[in-house]
Amino acid sequence: MIEVRELSASYGAVHALRDVTFTAPTGEVTAVLGANGAGKTTLLRTITGLVRARSGSATYDGRELTRTAPELMPRLGIAHVPEGRGVITELTVEENLRLGGLGRGRGKAGAAQLERVYGLFPAVADRRTALAHTLSGGERQMLVLGRALMAEPDVLLLDEPSLGLAPRIVAQMFELVQSLVADEGLTVLLVEQNARSALSIAHRGVVLNLGRVVVDDRAEVLAGDDQLRHAYLGF
Amino acid sequence: MQQLVNTLLGGLTLGMVYAAFALALVMIWRSTRIVNFAQAPMAMVTTFIALRIIEAGHSYWLGFAAALLAGLLLGALVERVLVRPVEGKAEINAVILTLGLFIVLHALASVVFGNRYRSFPAAFGIRGMEVGDMTIALTGFGIFTILAVLAVMGLLVLLFRFTDLGLRMRASAYNQEVARLLGVRVGHMLTLGWALASLVGSLAGLLIAGGSLVHPGYMDAVVVYGFVAAVLGGLDSPAGAVVGGLLLGVSLSLVSGYVGSELVALAALAILMVVLLLRPQGLFAQARERRV
Repeated sequence: MIEVRELSASYGAVHALRDVTFTAPTGEVTAVLGANGAGKTTLLRTITGLVRARSGSATYDGRELTRTAPELMPRLGIAHVPEGRGVITELTVEENLRLGGLGRGRGKAGAAQLERVYGLFPAVADRRTALAHTLSGGERQMLVLGRALMAEPDVLLLDEPSLGLAPRIVAQMFELVQSLVADEGLTVLLVEQNARSALSIAHRGVVLNLGRVVVDDRAEVLAGDDQLRHAYLGF
Repeated sequence: MQQLVNTLLGGLTLGMVYAAFALALVMIWRSTRIVNFAQAPMAMVTTFIALRIIEAGHSYWLGFAAALLAGLLLGALVERVLVRPVEGKAEINAVILTLGLFIVLHALASVVFGNRYRSFPAAFGIRGMEVGDMTIALTGFGIFTILAVLAVMGLLVLLFRFTDLGLRMRASAYNQEVARLLGVRVGHMLTLGWALASLVGSLAGLLIAGGSLVHPGYMDAVVVYGFVAAVLGGLDSPAGAVVGGLLLGVSLSLVSGYVGSELVALAALAILMVVLLLRPQGLFAQARERRV
């Protein structure tokens, strides 16, 4: 369970997050929604320590995260897939994946995890020796998702995974996330602008507006609230 | 014929040293986007450490190993203490820092080791070989130079291509934030990168010094050649640095042998200008995608 309590963060004088409080229960998908600039990305970056929190806390099973170095996240079982996908384009597909497997600190990146990821993403498996910059947007998204899974995380923080992808690819990817949650009890914090798709797999939804939480409820409540959808979710 | 062979061989040997020096520059450029102007005086200091040890009556190889170790430590120290605070800041900060370090190390070396020319021994003979009635300018130390640089390059390729540590180091060089999120201790990797680059620079310093004279400024010309070689190959490409070093070594040797040795420095700068005008990204730079 990820518990965020009165978390605030700022870039200089700009308050990006103000007293954000919500809970992402274990084994569920929690969607974080809102317009551009609402603070969604900052929220993830503050949780994993890339952005310093001004006040408040974010804990994972009781352990404080905001004052823990980002490089320790994989050891805690937390995988953060940053916005813009974060494929290391100069490395090959397989090197990207191996890198993901190193973070958990269990010695050598396991061939077993590699085969599992290739099994989940056959399109990526076909390109294993290619440099990652030759991949299409959809393939890159599969690659970073696979790379995150290499560390066998318990928590997945996904930042705008649908950005720039064809609807068919988005549907495939969300289906996969959904099955990982169902089969392996993964906890997912899903930041999305594409609220309709995100709510289709989410259990809960948190809507941010100008850095504040405006709604925190079950996903079906959010999806069914016409006024809310028009005001904040754009569908 | 004999002159041509000797000119080419001399150029090849010298080119290997330039290649090593250029490689050191490229390694640092790739990992921290800093041109290490202090590379030469760092190598100079470690060569003087070797000289001290050899002059104290110890073996050449002890001095050699000590200089490489000193290079490793000096590189780590410089990155961790001096460079770390300016990493990610405006580029001019790092330029001024490494130039300042250049001057400080020079001055310190003059104070500690003395500002005069001293002869530095070579591990192997520095006389040419006789093949038939020709004297070939490939000396024992020249062969050692070529093999030593090739061995170090081979080890670096093994490290970067085939080990987890090398993968972590490359990831840190390419994308620090993503590397951190994947659990890589980027700071350690940058320190290690500087340490290894400095070791390679020290090797170049030892090889230039071998059988020749050293004083606190003896590496300064090599800075220019190493830099030209690195730019020739594209600052981002280790293979380019090596090819650039060899091309430059052979070209300068040809200039020295057939045109006039006083024109060598001028020729190096002329080559640099031509490359910058015709192919500013270097001969071997990879086409990089534009980040949007």
